[in-house]
Amino acid sequence: MKSGQAEIAETSKGIQKRGLMSRKIAIFEFILRIIAFFNTISSAILMATTNETLPFFTQFIRFHADYNDLPALTFFVVANAVVSGYLILTLPLAFVHIVKKKTENSRILLIILDVAMVGLLASGAASAAAIVYLAHKGNNNTNWFPVCQQFNSFCERISGSLIGSFIAVALLIFLIILSAIALSRRH
Amino acid sequence: MKNESTIIDVPAESSSAMKGKAPLIGVASGSGGYKRGLSIFDFLLRLAAIIAASVAAGTMFTSDETLPFFTQFLQFEAGYDDLPTYQFFVIAMSIVSGYLVLSLPISVVTIVRPLATAPRLLLLVLDTAALAFNMAAASSAAAISYLAHNGNQNTNWLPICQQFGDFCLKSSGAVVSSFVAVVFFTILVVLSGVALKRH
Repeated sequence: MKSGQAEIAETSKGIQKRGLMSRKIAIFEFILRIIAFFNTISSAILMATTNETLPFFTQFIRFHADYNDLPALTFFVVANAVVSGYLILTLPLAFVHIVKKKTENSRILLIILDVAMVGLLASGAASAAAIVYLAHKGNNNTNWFPVCQQFNSFCERISGSLIGSFIAVALLIFLIILSAIALSRRH
Repeated sequence: MKNESTIIDVPAESSSAMKGKAPLIGVASGSGGYKRGLSIFDFLLRLAAIIAASVAAGTMFTSDETLPFFTQFLQFEAGYDDLPTYQFFVIAMSIVSGYLVLSLPISVVTIVRPLATAPRLLLLVLDTAALAFNMAAASSAAAISYLAHNGNQNTNWLPICQQFGDFCLKSSGAVVSSFVAVVFFTILVVLSGVALKRH
């Protein structure tokens, strides 16, 4: 009987320790969500405020470059804005996960939504990266001229805004993995 | 024996009498059944995704076209290696289909042992990474396909599809097949997540 009592005391202490680990995971997820939000919103703003007008004459008729001129960059801005809105809206849910004990169903919902957002964000970032690569290097076989030779600061800006988006993709993947680990734990 | 701590009275019964009662973790056998069903569905989806990914890689790889007549352009042939994004697409889809083939044994392990969480967690982690990679390849190739179909007036990029119709058709088909593989991956990740839930 005494060993039975000792075992019960041991397992209750074990459950408390594991509850602490689960809480640490939830806090870490909350922080990652905030960092990913800042990354996506800064990428969206950086890309949306690109604007360059050349002050001198060139062979090109075009003197003005904007993110609106390339549909892939427009999609990039929209995707980043949607994902940052989603991350802000799920911050309260992530906070609830820190406090509450029984979080399985909401974690599954969060995994589903996070997977959809990873897909959207990766799509926006990759298509914008393909267009930015083309703007930098051009393509001899298809006679596509590298635009960056004329529009320097525009090119620098659109290249820089890709970085935040790719970091946010990696963070979202990590968030999905953390949610799955938290789901699979014993309590 | 009374002391300060709480005492739970465990009735002293023999172990053979205990065996007749319902087990404490009685949900285990029931949830094992439906998790096994999820694993089988996961395996079948994986096979479908292998087909989608390899069709995408193969179609893009064999999308060469040589024009039989003279045009204003100096280039008379078009292939996937003329565009670096399409090269990335072929390599990425090959890697993804190779990964899917290698993950089939792990999926079989989750069928055989439905209650083990380690193989499922591993599959979820790898599937999420493969999903993002696949989506990146598919959407960058889609951006280039859109450009090849429509061109861009602001940057003076001409649509090449007007000359190379066959090449454009095949490369666009490969991109569509790749997006189908992305959908399969999404379902796979969600499936793994649901199956990981402990009752």
